[in-house]
Amino acid sequence: MKRFVAVVAVSLLALAACGESSSPAVPGAPSEKGADVLAKAPVAAAADILPGSTMEKIKQRGELLVGGSLDAPLLSQQNPATGEVEGFDADMGKALAKYILGEPKVKIVNSASETREALLANGTVDVVFQTYTITEERAKQVAFAGPYYTSGLTIAVKKGTTGIAKPEDLNGKKVLAGANTPAIPAIKKLAPQAEIITFGSDPECVQALKQDRGVAYVQDETLLIADAKKDPSIEIVTKPFTVDPYGIGLKHGDDQFKKFVNDWLKKTQDTGVWQEIWKKSIGTVVTGDAPQPPQIGSVPGS
Amino acid sequence: MSVLLDHLPELWQGLIVTFQLTAASFAGAAVLGALVCALRVSPVRVLRAIGTAYVESFQNLPLLVLLVLAFFGLPEIGVQAEPLVTAIVVIAVYEAAYVGEALRSGVNSVSRGQGEAARAIGLTFSQSLRHVVLPQALRTVVQPLGNIFIATTMNTALAAAVGVVDLTAAANRVNLVEAQPIPIFVGAGLAYALIAAAVGFTTGRLERKLVILR
Repeated sequence: MKRFVAVVAVSLLALAACGESSSPAVPGAPSEKGADVLAKAPVAAAADILPGSTMEKIKQRGELLVGGSLDAPLLSQQNPATGEVEGFDADMGKALAKYILGEPKVKIVNSASETREALLANGTVDVVFQTYTITEERAKQVAFAGPYYTSGLTIAVKKGTTGIAKPEDLNGKKVLAGANTPAIPAIKKLAPQAEIITFGSDPECVQALKQDRGVAYVQDETLLIADAKKDPSIEIVTKPFTVDPYGIGLKHGDDQFKKFVNDWLKKTQDTGVWQEIWKKSIGTVVTGDAPQPPQIGSVPGS
Repeated sequence: MSVLLDHLPELWQGLIVTFQLTAASFAGAAVLGALVCALRVSPVRVLRAIGTAYVESFQNLPLLVLLVLAFFGLPEIGVQAEPLVTAIVVIAVYEAAYVGEALRSGVNSVSRGQGEAARAIGLTFSQSLRHVVLPQALRTVVQPLGNIFIATTMNTALAAAVGVVDLTAAANRVNLVEAQPIPIFVGAGLAYALIAAAVGFTTGRLERKLVILR
């Protein structure tokens, strides 16, 4: 029994050590820097919080309810050490909360891609920041402010794989994709003969790729860059071949709130807050300066 | 509503996979479960212990954990199968624990005298189980087995986690494009409810037909 206890204790210690030395690809605990960025984030003038509006309701409540993820590296991931949700989407949500409330007080409701529309419609969340690609179909159900970020799908393979250089090369092959990601319709369109195999999370897809359950993995470039940095046995073989404009999901028909959020987005971009949020999240794996933010309202559906 | 009709082919394909998963894994669970039950009621202590260990391990592990372990863990030791095959085997192995327990409750309901009489006329343990005890036991557990069948149907939805495109996964994929979760998932839910209702109806009828009045 004593020996058993010792073994358990040692393995727990080892686990704890793993947690601390978090991989450099995923930002560890940039909370101090994060506070800096949010300190600079703009706050709305009192006159902008129109009486009877959604903004006023949020202000009275004292916190912004954000639909988001807790497991998306670089975008919206909960740091197990601090409990803080970190990443590009998470910080944008906090910046919006600061704009309305004067302080970055958010409650992130872990929403799955299949429930986002319902959560917005029934008022469980005020906004959704969750790599929510603006599409015309979705715009019939929800309102989109933004786009606030543009990404694209790309292809990762096991290092040394040949014969895959463009999406059309996936025809007739087994292709991995995250369940409920835009990768599925994109593969169907560009390589209709591909056999699509889906898993719930990004780490599962990477594991499946390494176990040869598919020859290629189609996913958002940002995530794949983070994966490839962590795991040198996989490589990215093409530039992004789609354009996914991410929007801020809002309740359908709330034009007042949509205009308010768009105004906020414009201000964060003009003051450089958007760029700094990018730098401390996605910018930790993508080299170079922050990209030009997409034109607000430039996408059908936004 | 029209969103369901527009995507009927995909959803139908998913429903067929759900049927395949349910039928194959329940068949497997029935065979394995009978074996587990035989172990648990056997006169040999070691065999009984093996049966108990089986039931305790699989009833105390969530199916999702087993599925993910089998799918991502076994390849590390060189065992790798197609998603559908993995799902069928894992669900069968998991449900076998429940089938085994249901059958055992049936065996326990057969009066002791029946077993003693079988032995008195010279039947071996397996003969008395096959010809005397199990036929009577089965009749009393029609409804519990039906419930396990329904649970198996619902549990197949977890197979989506290891890449099987069943009804749940198909509904998810349709919703990804259409963004209308309420009609889509209500539709899928109704399909599951219909399966459950059909099984419940059949087992109810069967039970009334087979019931032994004691």
